[in-house]
Amino acid sequence: MRRAILAIIATAAGIVALLSFKTHSAERTVVPPTPTASLPPGERAIAGNVANTVYGPVQIQLVVDASKIVKVNILEQPSSTQEDMQIGQYALPRLIAETLTAQSARIDAVSGATYTSNGYIQSLQSALDNGA
Amino acid sequence: MARVRPIERAVGADRLARWHATGGRYVIGLVSAHALAITWGYAVTAHTNPVSETATLLTTYPDVLMATVAWFLLLGVGLVSARAVRRKMSYETWYYLHLYTYLAIAFAFSHQFADGAAFTSSLAARFWWSALYLVVAALVIWYRIAVPARDFARHQFRVAGVRQETPRTFSIYIKGRHLSELAAAPGQFFRWRFLTRDLWWQSHPYSLSAVPSDELMRITVQDVRGRSSALASLKPGTRVIAEGPFGAFFPDRSGRSVLLLAGGVGITPLRAMFAALGGKVTLIYRASTWQDIVFQAELDAIAEARGATVHYLVGSRQDLGGDPLSATALRRLAPGLQRMDVYLCGPPGMTGTAVAALTEAGVPRRRIHFESFEF
Repeated sequence: MRRAILAIIATAAGIVALLSFKTHSAERTVVPPTPTASLPPGERAIAGNVANTVYGPVQIQLVVDASKIVKVNILEQPSSTQEDMQIGQYALPRLIAETLTAQSARIDAVSGATYTSNGYIQSLQSALDNGA
Repeated sequence: MARVRPIERAVGADRLARWHATGGRYVIGLVSAHALAITWGYAVTAHTNPVSETATLLTTYPDVLMATVAWFLLLGVGLVSARAVRRKMSYETWYYLHLYTYLAIAFAFSHQFADGAAFTSSLAARFWWSALYLVVAALVIWYRIAVPARDFARHQFRVAGVRQETPRTFSIYIKGRHLSELAAAPGQFFRWRFLTRDLWWQSHPYSLSAVPSDELMRITVQDVRGRSSALASLKPGTRVIAEGPFGAFFPDRSGRSVLLLAGGVGITPLRAMFAALGGKVTLIYRASTWQDIVFQAELDAIAEARGATVHYLVGSRQDLGGDPLSATALRRLAPGLQRMDVYLCGPPGMTGTAVAALTEAGVPRRRIHFESFEF
């Protein structure tokens, strides 16, 4: 009987400890859109269209100086699960770096993030089209 | 285990327990494969290694830590159910550890909705999946708690008395009200919980050893290594929770002649059937010593009253000059055996050899009925 009581107390303590555990979710790469007005003179912001993927929408915003892409902001990314967040966290900075180097939408998809990459490229292309 | 009465009655408690064990092994295998495969897969897509991905999963994915604890609980339950470990512990320790499965199911639930892409994106999927869980929960609560509580209140089961049958066996009489409403068939069993200070936490499956009346039931217990000795000193008036009736081991009124084949204390459900069956009935009762023969006077009286036959096969194989339950011996004891329904109850070893002998004697497998009482 004493063994049973100890087991019940230990189980209850374990449940309480487990329920009080807080997860620290991965950070989003998403930022609010930058208005052109707040940019230095000569720079302007161009939003891309929303590209829908099976994991959720992707939308980017370009900051261009004359015709040079100086910055890419992520306005929307797939984020319905933590896995989507983890994939975005890896893939999006790489896609942005590729964009700044290529200065066009002719960039490679990141492996393991095919849908996010395609959505990104689609939104990027539309931003370039909008800005032209 | 919800122990849904209609399913128990149709399939048999022993077969259900085996399905339950097989299902359990699949669940543990699939859950383990899921945990390992998803860690590996996520590590690949996140371009990291499985070890750091494990840490990421546990600390940043909502409720995955809880689900992991659930997985370990399931592994633990599986471990204590493995034959080698199971044999070393008492039934009750094993049973109560098994209850951690419910905790595991609760712990594992939320991560499915928090992390599963198929669920986060679909309300319908979440609804139907939850509905399945709720149906199972309702069945468990209904059949494991509500029905036994209702029966307890309605029938007021109490110990009426205990009678020593042989040096190692004794009968417990349980009285109650409106017992015929339970519709317990001879051959079925109940799970009995005797509400004394020391026994309330144990539940014992025992077959009815006599045809139940509207106010009295009887079970007969063999004391194996002192494990059931506390039951022998039950006081009249002790309240009892009876869960049941269970089991698919009862005659199907086919009208065919019947052979009842008992080994040792396996006589108990057959004793009840022997008194209840109509038509031509033969009882073969195998035991190693005359001291182990229970109900001899009752059996002889029933046989006499209804013109049935009882054969006692007592002694070792050597004493009896060969296997008393060989195909030839059975054919001689029960002429016309091929056309009979056979009900068989005894220790596992005897059941196995008897089934083989009966098959050899030409009894179709579907007419050999037995329930193994190992829990």
